[in-house]
Amino acid sequence: MRPAAGAFCVLVMVLWTGTALVAYADPARRRPWFLGLDLLVTLGLLVASPIVKGESFNATVPGFWVMCALLAWAVRYHWQGGLLASVLVAGTDLLVRDEINQTNYGNTFLLLIAGPIVGFMCESLQMMAKERDKAQRAALAEAERARLARAVHDGVLQVLALVQRRGAELGGEAADLGRLAGEQEQVLRTLIRSQDAVSSSSESAHAVGDLAAALGELGARPHVSVATPGTVVELPAAVVRELVSVVAACLDNVVVHVGAAASAWVLLEAFPDRVEISVRDEGPGIPAGRLEAAAAEGRLGVSESICGRVTDLGGTAELSTGPFGTEWELVVPLEAL
Amino acid sequence: MDSDTDQQPIRVMVVDDHPMWRDAVERDLQAGGFDVVAVAANGAEAVARFPAARPQVVVLDLQIPAPNGVEVTAEVLRHDPSARVLILSASGEQTDVLEAVKAGATGYLVKSASREELLDAVRRVARGDTVFTPGLAGLVLGEFRRLSDPSAAEVDQPQLTERETEVLKMVAKGMSYKQIADRLFLSHRTVQNHVQNTLRKLQMHNRVELTRWAIEQGLDEE
Repeated sequence: MRPAAGAFCVLVMVLWTGTALVAYADPARRRPWFLGLDLLVTLGLLVASPIVKGESFNATVPGFWVMCALLAWAVRYHWQGGLLASVLVAGTDLLVRDEINQTNYGNTFLLLIAGPIVGFMCESLQMMAKERDKAQRAALAEAERARLARAVHDGVLQVLALVQRRGAELGGEAADLGRLAGEQEQVLRTLIRSQDAVSSSSESAHAVGDLAAALGELGARPHVSVATPGTVVELPAAVVRELVSVVAACLDNVVVHVGAAASAWVLLEAFPDRVEISVRDEGPGIPAGRLEAAAAEGRLGVSESICGRVTDLGGTAELSTGPFGTEWELVVPLEAL
Repeated sequence: MDSDTDQQPIRVMVVDDHPMWRDAVERDLQAGGFDVVAVAANGAEAVARFPAARPQVVVLDLQIPAPNGVEVTAEVLRHDPSARVLILSASGEQTDVLEAVKAGATGYLVKSASREELLDAVRRVARGDTVFTPGLAGLVLGEFRRLSDPSAAEVDQPQLTERETEVLKMVAKGMSYKQIADRLFLSHRTVQNHVQNTLRKLQMHNRVELTRWAIEQGLDEE
């Protein structure tokens, strides 16, 4: 038993604790050589235990203080570092003892468990922090891109609209150019709207779609005007797809029966209990008896298919036709979905 | 119908940050017999030049450097409630258009409209008529549906009469005022009045909301 040596060891531990606290505070100072030195000090104190306390000591001089170096290694070098440090500390601890009892065995076991697990947790945490930073940067970059794109899109829309307008006034080939510019203007405007819809609904479930945005895309067709409530109209994605394809079929019908240059109007209204869609054209209307004649011949006309598909969704499709044109009224109650 | 030919030309102000567009609209308006009393490239210029120029109609692009088209609309109408604002927009930013209408704009036209449509729209707006697109009618209709939603429990929400809703719905379906008048056996003027009333109710509601907000914020105590 050497009390003076013991006091010296305690002084070393106090001083080293202070040094380590200061050194580890700055990430730039967490160098391999310092971590190595930290571990060496710990191992040195373990080795000194039999000299200071005599051959058959119970607790080593540093005691649970050995955890500090071990945890530092686990934090810095993850599970590999934690494992290495815990093996070295536990091994040295066992080597310097003249006999090993159950308590020593238990402590060794805890050391070997703690090192790798703490290391593993640190690695996961650091990875998550990195991924979060990456996601935040990506979101910021995306928002900035969208802002720039809006400015560019607005400029392009302005120019396309101007070309369309001047072209129509000049006539001849310029009129064709103007018409092309007009088509592209509509395509671009539709793209912008659908992008807005994607970014605003990306957080909601995948099974839900925005009927207003989806119908709005049909506005890219020439001579088609789409009016929506201006808010998101959320419905199951499958229902949105079906309704859009039904409306598209109505619009195809307009092109076939009235002409490619015929105007058509789509109106979507959202009520708390139902959605209503109207598709209207100003063609000559469907001659009386033609639908019945088609049905009698066993042909499933487009009209039949439109009615059938809306009925499958639990809704109703009504057709009114006359010299004022043709209008489809589709009503789908929400509780049926 | 046009009674402005024998009167003074209509004074118009053009606000657009795109020089090409500003020039094109100004040229078209002058060729159409209008008096373009001022132009502005951004919101600040528009608000600064409005009082001296005293235009009857402001042809306004919504996407302009600050203050934006909605704020300019509110500001110029605060100065001169008899002025009219016609929104001429390229992007068709739906919410902005609705906000501008709530702030008091009485006309909306997309930039791809032809020169004749523009001249006609300015003339009609100057007369006090409203110029709607089907898209805008759909937005206004949607706004009233939201206001009348029972879950938004407010006491003094504006309500459209059945007739107003019917007319607005027909506008949203792309029907002209004349077609609507024929279909409903009304006069063209009556249809026009119904559409104007819907806008007025929306603007009134907007004003009530703003006032309530101001009182809640304690702005009335100053």
